[in-house]
Amino acid sequence: MRRVPKEVLAFVIICGVMAPVPLVVESHYVINLIILCNIYAVFLASWDLLTGYTGQISFGHALFIGGGAYTAGLLNFYLKFPPLVTIPSGALIAAILGLALGIPSLRLRGPYLALATFSASAIPSVLVSTLWKYTGGEDGLYGIAPISFNVVNRYYLSLALMGVCCGIMSALARSSYGLVLQAIREDETAAMASGVDTRAYKLKTFVLSGFFAGLAGAFYCHNQMHVGTEELSLSLSILVVLMSVVGGIGTIIGPMFGGYLLILLNEGLRFIEDFRLVIYSGAVVIILLFLPRGLLPSVLELMRRTRGLVIKSPSPKVEAVRDSASGVDEPEAQRGLSCEPK
Amino acid sequence: MNVALEILVYGAVQSGVYAMLALGFSLIFGVAGVVNLAHTAFYMAGAYLIYTCVSLLGMGLPAALVCSVIVVGLCGLAVQRFAIRPLIESEYSVMMITVAIAFLVQEAVTVIFGPADRNVKGFIDQKLEVFGVVDIDSQRMLTLGVATVLIVALWFFINKTKQGKAVLAVAQDREGALFVGIDPWKIYLRVMFISAVLAGIAGAFIAPTLGARPHMWEHPLVKCFAIVILGGLGSIEGTILAAIILGFCEVVVSFLISSYLGELVALIMILGVLMVKPAGLMGRGAVR
Repeated sequence: MRRVPKEVLAFVIICGVMAPVPLVVESHYVINLIILCNIYAVFLASWDLLTGYTGQISFGHALFIGGGAYTAGLLNFYLKFPPLVTIPSGALIAAILGLALGIPSLRLRGPYLALATFSASAIPSVLVSTLWKYTGGEDGLYGIAPISFNVVNRYYLSLALMGVCCGIMSALARSSYGLVLQAIREDETAAMASGVDTRAYKLKTFVLSGFFAGLAGAFYCHNQMHVGTEELSLSLSILVVLMSVVGGIGTIIGPMFGGYLLILLNEGLRFIEDFRLVIYSGAVVIILLFLPRGLLPSVLELMRRTRGLVIKSPSPKVEAVRDSASGVDEPEAQRGLSCEPK
Repeated sequence: MNVALEILVYGAVQSGVYAMLALGFSLIFGVAGVVNLAHTAFYMAGAYLIYTCVSLLGMGLPAALVCSVIVVGLCGLAVQRFAIRPLIESEYSVMMITVAIAFLVQEAVTVIFGPADRNVKGFIDQKLEVFGVVDIDSQRMLTLGVATVLIVALWFFINKTKQGKAVLAVAQDREGALFVGIDPWKIYLRVMFISAVLAGIAGAFIAPTLGARPHMWEHPLVKCFAIVILGGLGSIEGTILAAIILGFCEVVVSFLISSYLGELVALIMILGVLMVKPAGLMGRGAVR
């Protein structure tokens, strides 16, 4: 019997654990929060594919998210297209944006690429403010059709979105394709010398990353029934970077973990209202300084060391997380072979 | 004719502010290889500190200025020593921690002062007439004057003093500088201090004209990018030239077309330069 890839198994288990949540939790507020987490997980995973795996640092992921969201929002608002049409179109437009940003970015590396993505993502938000007659300006457009009026239905749709998109990205990252991406990240010249068409791979990754971010962005727009400049904002791009870094970049599942953790933490801190974002960003700074690899890889490392001493029978979710993370570690071990320094 | 003169005066003021801001950003990149995304957070801190000192604590203007600038400089030292230095080997980590710090400052400012604009009283209040026809508040002219003096002083410091030569030496070759007895870490601290102080002064002088608000760091950061990309990261002359070009282009577009499109100039400039000549006007290679 052919072995099921660990990533697929991990996502089946995560979805399995999360599926009964609406049966247990009554509060619509909590369910809505988890829907938000699911959508963010896709944003973060798509960012990680581009930046964590390929090393093409993007400070402008809001370009893709907002591109998808505005495409879906405008199509639905003016042409009354149903979500079934608008969400794929949003993803498509975001993929085209990925191509458009990817082509000029092929020549750039390091800080220059970061600055280019940063600036490129600011252009649409200025355009949206300029064309306020059609886009609603800062306030955005209200009255976008919801995906479903029932919160439980929306929950399962978002879970499906998260499971499928992140599952695909995780499997991609684990495949030989992902291995090439890591080779590009570690040493692009060496990857080229090994006969890899790094330009094609980088472009493909830009397009894929844009596609998934746009898909989730369009979903987000229908989920909120609103599209506004916050989906294009610099703050969103920065939030995506910070959440991923906290979770642990280059692992797909790490940034997702960071997203769930920080969104829930953000809500959990609501009792101190004003200070929560200060505490939140302060925590991010401290994690960056002391756990530069990110939370999830550090926690897993700790667990691996203490395994057998403390944890006798890990819960299925923990098992799933560890499985997928150790799966990610394997290509790392091979990396030295495929990509010797020049 | 009037419009041309107005563009000349406002463009010069704009360029002066941009040069003051971008020089620090460019300097710390050129010397330490640090892309400091928290740079305009210092600018914001300068604006809020002058507001606190003048409007809340009721201090006199000179004392308030000195206080603000010193505090901003100390913040710069702290950021360099405790946040950037441990991560300096990885340019990605530096970008991420500095962006996290900028976010932290933004949120702290929101908590302390609230999300609304804070207005700061002008340092001098009367209107001026330049060339007999251009009405401009004297605050702007003062800012231009301060910017010119500081830029000249910085150029002199870097090119003519022994300390400045040490900075250049570290920028050219860190190990080489170490061999002749220059401690690069000290130089980094010094450059960071200068860079933070320049940004803080720019913030303090701009606060009366633009007000202080928690998101004020975002747009100037993009402007800094545009300028250092056009001028070449790490080149002082290129940075000044690029600041002048950007300042005047923006003012021309805002005056003649629309102020919304003025914001786009910087962005289009960045992408244009990155696509056509990534090394900038006078810079070293972006494409390694």
